[in-house]
Amino acid sequence: MGLMNGIDEKFLKKIPGAPVIMTSIEWIINASRANSLWTVTFGLRCCAIEMMHTGATKTDWARFGFEVPAASPRRADVMVVAGTVSKKMVPIVKRLYEQMPDPKYVIAMGACAISGGPFVYDSYSVVYGVDKIIPVDVYIPGCPPRPEALIDGFIKLQKKIMTQKFRK
Amino acid sequence: MNYQEILEKIKTKVEPIYYKEDLGVLNAEVKPSDIKKVISFLKDELKFDWLNFITAIDWPENQNIEIIYYLYSNITKDKVVIRVKLDRNNPTIDTITDIFKTAEWHERETAEMFGVKFLNHPYPKRLLTIDGMDAPLRKDFKCDDLKPLPKD
Ligand code: SF4
Repeated sequence: MGLMNGIDEKFLKKIPGAPVIMTSIEWIINASRANSLWTVTFGLRCCAIEMMHTGATKTDWARFGFEVPAASPRRADVMVVAGTVSKKMVPIVKRLYEQMPDPKYVIAMGACAISGGPFVYDSYSVVYGVDKIIPVDVYIPGCPPRPEALIDGFIKLQKKIMTQKFRK
Repeated sequence: MNYQEILEKIKTKVEPIYYKEDLGVLNAEVKPSDIKKVISFLKDELKFDWLNFITAIDWPENQNIEIIYYLYSNITKDKVVIRVKLDRNNPTIDTITDIFKTAEWHERETAEMFGVKFLNHPYPKRLLTIDGMDAPLRKDFKCDDLKPLPKD
């Protein structure tokens, strides 16, 4: 597991003299989810190059618990929409999203995935933001966002996961 | 070969409607019915073995769609541009896929972007646009969610 974000004394207690920790089910499930996020291996345009770079040695997102890009959407937890969604790609993006098991999260990376970005005007082929077709958890602005920004977005997503409640 | 020599050789086969020299490259306009003849002549006898691209230009004021074939020769390093003007309301032309296989995707793209019909094309399906979209690169294209660029 990567770094435990948001570890708090009141959630995690080590009992002296025994290999036992006490915490809430909610916290342990959220922490397990947040620290082992697998991404769908999927990129749409220039932002995908920056996403690959984020996963490569120099910035290495596995340090923070985002782990491996999953080879199939059925094993993935988070979808990074890295790039322009064209109208021709809409059915494919939707299908990838629907194949992912719950709980699933979506990060919209770059101006294109947020709003259509540089292609907003006079474009016959671009969807104006991926949130028109699938729900988005975190938006990362930039054209393209730097790897640091993507990692920041992931950490924001982890913080969001840690606030999930199981009781209604 | 310079462009005059290429032009003389083309003239022995078909008569260009119009020609001009542009940056040292011959631009010859031929009749739509001559296109297969001229392309296979260029390929077989003048050794233009590479089809760079096929594209089109929309001329709404003349009611024309102009198809452009750009050929290159890896042997003599020459370039030539063949142009064909079609009627804008019903643009149809023969495919050259049987001469250059690579023309297949170029023709599919030109067909969906400009609404040109390529006769006898082996796989006349859409390549890049969604179903129901017609000729987005024509100057008078309209679609519901197109946001025009603000003027100022
Ligand atoms: S936001 Fe910029 S870098 Fe990213 S896909 Fe769009 S154009 Fe490319």
